[in-house]
Amino acid sequence: MSTTESAERYLKVLLGSETRTDLVALFHRNPGLIDTAEGIGRRIGLVPGAVQSDLEELVATGMLTKKKFGTSEVFFLNHAKDREIQDSIAVHLQNLKP
Amino acid sequence: MLMGGFMEKDAVMLAGSAGAGKTTLALQYLVSGVQSCAEPGIYVTFEQLPDQIYRDAKNFGWDLQKMEEENKLRVICTSPDLLFTTENGESILDVPIDDVRPRRIVIDSLSHLSMFSEGKNFRLETYRLISWLKMKGLSSLLLWETSNMMGQISSITDTGLSFLVDSIILLKPVEIDSAIHKALVILKMRGSDHDKKLREYEITSSGIMVAAPFANYEGIMSGNARRTAGLEKATQNFTDAFSRKRH
Repeated sequence: MSTTESAERYLKVLLGSETRTDLVALFHRNPGLIDTAEGIGRRIGLVPGAVQSDLEELVATGMLTKKKFGTSEVFFLNHAKDREIQDSIAVHLQNLKP
Repeated sequence: MLMGGFMEKDAVMLAGSAGAGKTTLALQYLVSGVQSCAEPGIYVTFEQLPDQIYRDAKNFGWDLQKMEEENKLRVICTSPDLLFTTENGESILDVPIDDVRPRRIVIDSLSHLSMFSEGKNFRLETYRLISWLKMKGLSSLLLWETSNMMGQISSITDTGLSFLVDSIILLKPVEIDSAIHKALVILKMRGSDHDKKLREYEITSSGIMVAAPFANYEGIMSGNARRTAGLEKATQNFTDAFSRKRH
């Protein structure tokens, strides 16, 4: 996949729904957030279960990591991959013809 | 007041009602550690999101995000029950501890943790958490919200946590002459002497400033502050009364 195709795929996934946009903003403003889907949903005013599928999409891009703790599954920012995604998008946007 | 500071790896409870300045003092403890003692720290919050803490800290001139970029600090936000959970001996704090190698940690707050664990179980879990923090070489500041804002406090917690911690600092609003003042007192400091006086403190633009002890008042902690006569006046009153009785 070319750099442009990767960046476009990232943009499509990260901003593909209002909930996912809210989640991206939440983790970027709060990079130390480590929580379950229920906890994360509560922090953006949504009921438990409303963010699970969007979180899984973000895990699939690599922006978030999912890990099991006891009986709970937690999500947190993958800082290195997130920086890579941001750099890829930044380069793509700079290269866009006016 | 602390005769040199907290003892290393001690668990210190910082108790106070809402708005007393616990979060401010806790942040100041970590920032001071980074700036003055080369001691990195971790702030664990359950309710407030990190971006709100960054914003509040900036009001005091503390750039927490810059300290995070320099790997001297981490602000971790999680759910209380996850802090009590371990997976094969792993804790949710293992990664930030490995990243930053902290010497100080703030848990904001034990009151939130208590909502996820009941009675005897909470005490056991807190004991386990404190033991784990000490094992990791961390000097911890554990915030506790007291229920009484004004008036007498008969106990700091009703779950016996006072016995688990090494030191207790209480922040309390008090009414004196129809004005609210902020009072700070060290109730306990295991293994060390400490200032026993009740001191006034202020939340200033650069953090908490501790001032002189309250003078000429008694009963401040009971919620009924009364002026005392002072030693010279009391001696004179006694002498006068004794003279009158003789005649």
